[in-house]
Amino acid sequence: MIKQCFQAEWLKMRRSHIWVVFMLLPLVSVIIGWANYVMNQGTLQKEWYSLWSQVGLFYGEFFFPILIAIGCSYQCRLEHQNKNWHLVLTAPVSLAALFAAKLGVVATLLLLVQAFFCLQYVCGGLLAGLSASLPAELPGWLLRGWIAAMTIAVFQLALSMRIKSFATPVGIGLCAVFFGLGMYVLKLGLFFPHSLLTVGMGVLSQEGLDFGSNVVFLLMNALFGVGISTVSLRRLRKSDVLA
Amino acid sequence: MRKALSLEFYKLRRKYVLPMALLFLTVELVWALIAVSMSFERNRDSAGWEVIVAMLSTMNGLFLPLLSAIVVSRICDMEHKGNTWRLLRSMAVQPGKLYAAKYACAGLIMLGVCLCQLLAIAVFGVQSGYLTSVPLVLLARFLFGTLVTTLVVLALQQWISTVVKNQAFALCLGMLGGFLGMVGDLFPEAARRVFVWAYYTGLSPVTQQYASEKMQFVVREAGPISSAAAVLLAVAALLFLMGRRHASRLEG
Repeated sequence: MIKQCFQAEWLKMRRSHIWVVFMLLPLVSVIIGWANYVMNQGTLQKEWYSLWSQVGLFYGEFFFPILIAIGCSYQCRLEHQNKNWHLVLTAPVSLAALFAAKLGVVATLLLLVQAFFCLQYVCGGLLAGLSASLPAELPGWLLRGWIAAMTIAVFQLALSMRIKSFATPVGIGLCAVFFGLGMYVLKLGLFFPHSLLTVGMGVLSQEGLDFGSNVVFLLMNALFGVGISTVSLRRLRKSDVLA
Repeated sequence: MRKALSLEFYKLRRKYVLPMALLFLTVELVWALIAVSMSFERNRDSAGWEVIVAMLSTMNGLFLPLLSAIVVSRICDMEHKGNTWRLLRSMAVQPGKLYAAKYACAGLIMLGVCLCQLLAIAVFGVQSGYLTSVPLVLLARFLFGTLVTTLVVLALQQWISTVVKNQAFALCLGMLGGFLGMVGDLFPEAARRVFVWAYYTGLSPVTQQYASEKMQFVVREAGPISSAAAVLLAVAALLFLMGRRHASRLEG
């Protein structure tokens, strides 16, 4: 059932040109971060790590969370139009399958974005003349980033399903980014979805997470993911949809 | 025109645009004013209204383009969603007048946001204990610069939000604008002139300068800022007219 729902959701993305947005925002963040690194190579001497600190800061701290918010808003936009929620909710599929399919589509897109970002990072490093081998932490940064991105996607999807407007969940997402940054500064980064992304991607500190921190990171993501989706699904079951 | 404008506000009555804008403003103010408080505590000699204005100008560069994108998107998207462009046209509402009413509506909301921001700055400055009399001229110049830049951004956003149904693109532009507004000062002079979002700091009455490894806040002359603002207003008018012309020719 989930597979069919996923295929249906994927079909809705056809000819939406949303991929332009998903490619453009990482590209801009990498270009600016890369240019900043190249211009300050005298001070930024940790080669790949310094480059990551520059491109990752703009991407992981601002563009990626907003991209997730835009993706989730787009996923629900069609349902908010023409009373489509009524149509979707009367289909012979479970609500959980619907939610999972929407999340699955966003997760797939985010995986592609992470891969595209990684490619740009490597190309940027080679273009800047970096000769050292790639950081061993890179797969961890990307994978943890994707996991945290899915947690944020659950949060944004819950908002977008509730709020009819396309732009409001994106705005709330930006406010959450700053709240998350504050939580990270207060060393409470593991207790808010948006700061989990900062911690996981090593955006502000490139030191890798130890085993214990990795376990806590995964647990917190699971906790937020399950908790928010349960509340969202419960709400969808109990209250009428204002389509 | 007044009727069209009041109808725009009527359509927004349950859209929570103003609470949303105020939430956004609150996050910005909390972030900026905490940073200013920490700066004052670290260096009491440097405490001044100029620090607050400079900090808010930079933060506006990030927040206001995105807030403008959200406000305009909400105002235009309700017509896309309800498929009401055609309905409005069939009721003899001139497309140009409707476009202007939406622009004025967005402009008035952003004016309200800017005034709230100004009020918050004044209250914070007086309450902080470091500052005394409120510098009305400095704050008025700050308001003017912020408003002029916002008018250009609104004109650009409205054009995109009206012409492109998919609001993801308008918000993507808002995000890019916010980013360029924040890091605009790092670009070379020629690039800064092109990016309209960089004028949140470009038209600010206070600028930051490094002298003998210390950051100083300098109040700018009004002359060069006024001429840049005049050019920017002309750009806003041009973008508005081009957007209105484009939108008026579209099929509903």
